[in-house]
Order: sequence, then C-alpha cells, then structure tokens
Amino acid sequence: MIERVEQPALEVEGLTVTYGREPALWNADLRLGQGALAAVVGPNGAGKSTLLKAALGVVPRVSGRVRVLGVDPARKRRLVAYVPQRSSVDWDFPTSVLDVVTMGTYGRLGWFRRPGRSERAAAMQALEQMEMADLAGRQIAELSGGQQQRVFLARALVQDAEVYFMDEPFAGVDAVTEQSIASLMGRLAQHGKTILSVHHDLATVPRYFEHAVLLNRAVQAVGTVKEVFHRSNLDRLYGGRVPADVPELASV
Amino acid sequence: MSWPWVALDPTLIVVAAGTSAVGAVSGALGCFAYLRRQGLVGDVVSHSALLGVVGAFVLTHAVTGSASRSLAVLVPGALLAGTAALMLARSVSIRTRLKDDASLGVMLSIFFGGGLFLLRWVQRQSPPIPGHTGLEDYIFGMAAAMTRADLWMILALGGCATVALLLLWKELKVFTFDPDFSRSLGFPARLLDSLTMALLVMGVVIGIQTVGVILMIALLVTPAAAARQWTSRLSTMVLLAATFGAGAGAGGALMSASEAGLPTGPVVVLLATATFVVSLLLAPRRGVIARAQSRRAMRDLPPPAAGRTS
Repeated sequence: MIERVEQPALEVEGLTVTYGREPALWNADLRLGQGALAAVVGPNGAGKSTLLKAALGVVPRVSGRVRVLGVDPARKRRLVAYVPQRSSVDWDFPTSVLDVVTMGTYGRLGWFRRPGRSERAAAMQALEQMEMADLAGRQIAELSGGQQQRVFLARALVQDAEVYFMDEPFAGVDAVTEQSIASLMGRLAQHGKTILSVHHDLATVPRYFEHAVLLNRAVQAVGTVKEVFHRSNLDRLYGGRVPADVPELASV
Repeated sequence: MSWPWVALDPTLIVVAAGTSAVGAVSGALGCFAYLRRQGLVGDVVSHSALLGVVGAFVLTHAVTGSASRSLAVLVPGALLAGTAALMLARSVSIRTRLKDDASLGVMLSIFFGGGLFLLRWVQRQSPPIPGHTGLEDYIFGMAAAMTRADLWMILALGGCATVALLLLWKELKVFTFDPDFSRSLGFPARLLDSLTMALLVMGVVIGIQTVGVILMIALLVTPAAAARQWTSRLSTMVLLAATFGAGAGAGGALMSASEAGLPTGPVVVLLATATFVVSLLLAPRRGVIARAQSRRAMRDLPPPAAGRTS
C-alpha cells in the first residue's frame, strides 16, 4: 500500500533574487501546509515583496525552486493568486470596479479569449463577498483606499487559487475594512487555501495570523506564531529596535 | 470656393483620407502611451525616425541608383531608427545609473541631430540626388505629397495595428493597468512590452510624413488626453481618441488645401490641441469648469454634524 504523503501547499527552496548587484533575497527556504495563514514580517528592504514576486515569477530569480501542491506554478498559473501593493497601480486608470475584478479571470481565459457573462458573474460574486457589489459600476478613480484594497482582494478571489500571495493587504485601510479582510483570510484558510501575506504591523500578527515567516534577505524562521514570533527572534530580525509595546510577545 | 470642390479633387481625397487615418491610428495607439506615461518614448521614436528616413533614402539611392521617397521605402527606415533609439536608451538605462528620461533624451538628440546632419549632407550632394527636395518636409510634415501608394501603406499598417489591438485587447489592458499582476497570470511582460512599443512605433512612423517628426508627439498624446476627459472606460477612450485624431487629420488636410501656404502638420496639431482645450474646460466631472462648480457646491454644503467629526 502506498502511504499518502502530506503535500505541502507551498514549497520554496533556495530562492535567490538580485537587483543589480545587490542580493534582495538570499537562499530563501519556506514550507507551508494547506490552510496555513502566514505573515511575512521583516524590516524595510528585507525582500518581503520580492519573496512574493519571485515565488510568482513576477521578478526573475537567480536560483531556486517553487512548488505549489508539488507543481511548478509557472506551469499551472491557476494555483496562485496575487494581491499586489495597492499603491503599485495608477487608480486613475479609465476602468470600472467590475472590470478590474474580472481581470482575475484573465489567467484561466488564456490568450485572445474575452471575458463573457460567466466571468462577469464570477466577478460579481467575489464583489458580493467583499461587500462591494453596489460599487460594481463605479469608476476606480472614485474609490477610497479601503475600497481599492477590497477590489484587489475580490480580484484575487475570482482567481480561485490554492495559494494566495498578498502584499500588505492591511496597509492604510480603516478598521472596518481591516476586520473584513481578516475574516476573509480566515474563511479562505478554513477552506484549505494557503495565504502568504506581507504584514507590517507587528502588534496584529498574533491576532490575524497563525504562521509567521521572519525574513531579512534570508528566511530566519518559519513556524506557527507561537513558535517563532518571540521577542528574541524579532529583536534579532529588526536589529534590536522592536518597540516594547508589541503585545502578546511578553508571555513567551 | 464652394463645398463640392472637395469631391472634385481626387488628390485631396487621398490626402484627407490618409491624414484622417493617421490621426485615428495614432490617436488610438497614443492612449496606451498616455496611460503608461510613455509620451517621451513616442517623442524619441518620431525624432529618431528622421535619421531612418534620410538614411533609407540615401541607401536606396546608393543601392538601386534611383532614390525613392515613397513610404514603402522610408517607413522601414523609420521603424529601424526608432526601434534602435529605444533599444539603445534602454540598454544605457540598464547598464548605467542614468534615469530613463535622461537616456531617452540623449538618444533623441543623437538620432535627430544625426538625421539633420545627414539631411544637409544629402542636400549638398552634387550632382544633386533626384527627389531629395522633399526630404526636409519630414521635419514639419507635408501631407500634400501623399500618393495613393502612401495611403495604402498607411491603411495597411493602421489595419495591422487595429487588428493587434482588437486581438490582444484584454492582455494589453491588464498589462497597462497592472503589469505585475498580468505577469503573475502568466502573460510574459517582455512580449507585451515589446508589443506595446511596436504598436507605438508603428503609430508614430505612419504619421511622420503628414505631421512631421517634431510635432508627431502631439498627435499621439493630445487626442488621448482629450478623450480621457470625457470617459472612464478604456474602450470608449480609445474610440474617442481615434475620432478626435481622425477629425484633426481630415480638418488639417482640408484647411491647408483650401488656404495656400498653410502647413498641414501644424494645422492638424493645432486642431487636435483645440479639441484638447475644449475637453479640458468643458468635460463633465473631470473638466475645469465642472470641477470648479462641484468645489463651489461643496463649499455651500452645511458643515458636517458635530457628532460625526472627530
């Protein structure tokens, strides 16, 4: 009888990226099981966004290997979804909320095929999940920061992937949006989806995430928040500058 | 002069059709340059094209013994020079600490200066190279010189660009809006980038005969900027920019034909600019007047209730 081996949802081995001569990411190793809800934390310039982009193939890697459920995501794009930083696009682009969310279906449509009724229906459904359905026809230039973030999350939901890469989904959103993003992440994880999310606010890591990836060019620690999100680890990660008021750390 | 003269003059019909096709194609393609903030790239391509045009003229003369000023000869030269300037600028930006706009500016000067230099050299040849007298028209544009063959060339290239735009609409849209996301979907960025560049170069090159290399940038960016004022849908914007461009092109051709001595290129550009100014002022929501009105309306609103301020 063949023993069933637990397949890691995301497996990153020896991932190295350089910008010019500077290494941005150095030999990063990382393994997350299905349903893991992981925060990537680390100081500025630690390569957090680069880790996501390199895993997705958005920036070229010098070396390394990425597997999603054992498959190279470059061969099967449908396994991954991406929420880029909100500030990375021009929100004055002439398009509507529904249109942006529909872009989440472009990958499975492939070259040349245009989105049709079923793609727009899927986009509407994702907007409903983000409580944005009433804004479907709105110009994206008229959205608030929190609404922009929900649009990006809805677009990732439409991708219906296995691993979700999110770059600072909580950046600059109000408390209500923060809550709805957190609960969306929780629901995705409950359905066995894996989330790797760059996160800046150390104080909320234990509240919103179960796993943490401590990154500074190289991965310094990966594990559950309980295991690795310690003051000693964080002080080392940030070079001893972690403010003392980060709650839920002292207990360890 | 009364209206029917237009119908009676087949040369003018060719010219008007050609300039409006040029305006439509460059207006439509200019939208993507506008949205990607690559107006300068278009300017580099058009200025560099002068070197390509004069170079192609000299080369055909040297090889075949008879120089040609038909677009079928000059367009490949312009394509080559424009692409070379862009590729050189890019490799300079990658290999040095020079910023993109600086390296683009340097390439523009080198190629345009080289083009002017070569042009003067051609003009000073003795015995004179037959046909060289029309070459300087590429600087400021000369639509009246357009032949039927040129018109076909413009329509063929414009048709190719339109087909590419229609086929790859979705890919170009997501790539223009969010290049990282489009890459994560598996659409190769380098290919789409090269494609948008190729379309931009095509839009520039078919227009330089009409508008001239110096003013070509106006025909790319102005209709797009005007169209953006009226709509927040990419497809509407592209169609509107094409319409504005076509209108300016046809209007410029007719006006410069009716009034002797009016140069086509500048008239086309001024017409496009007029459309832009009107759009800037009058467009609903984004227009200057509409915005001033909505600001005034905001000021007249009662202050927010005390409980909601913090």
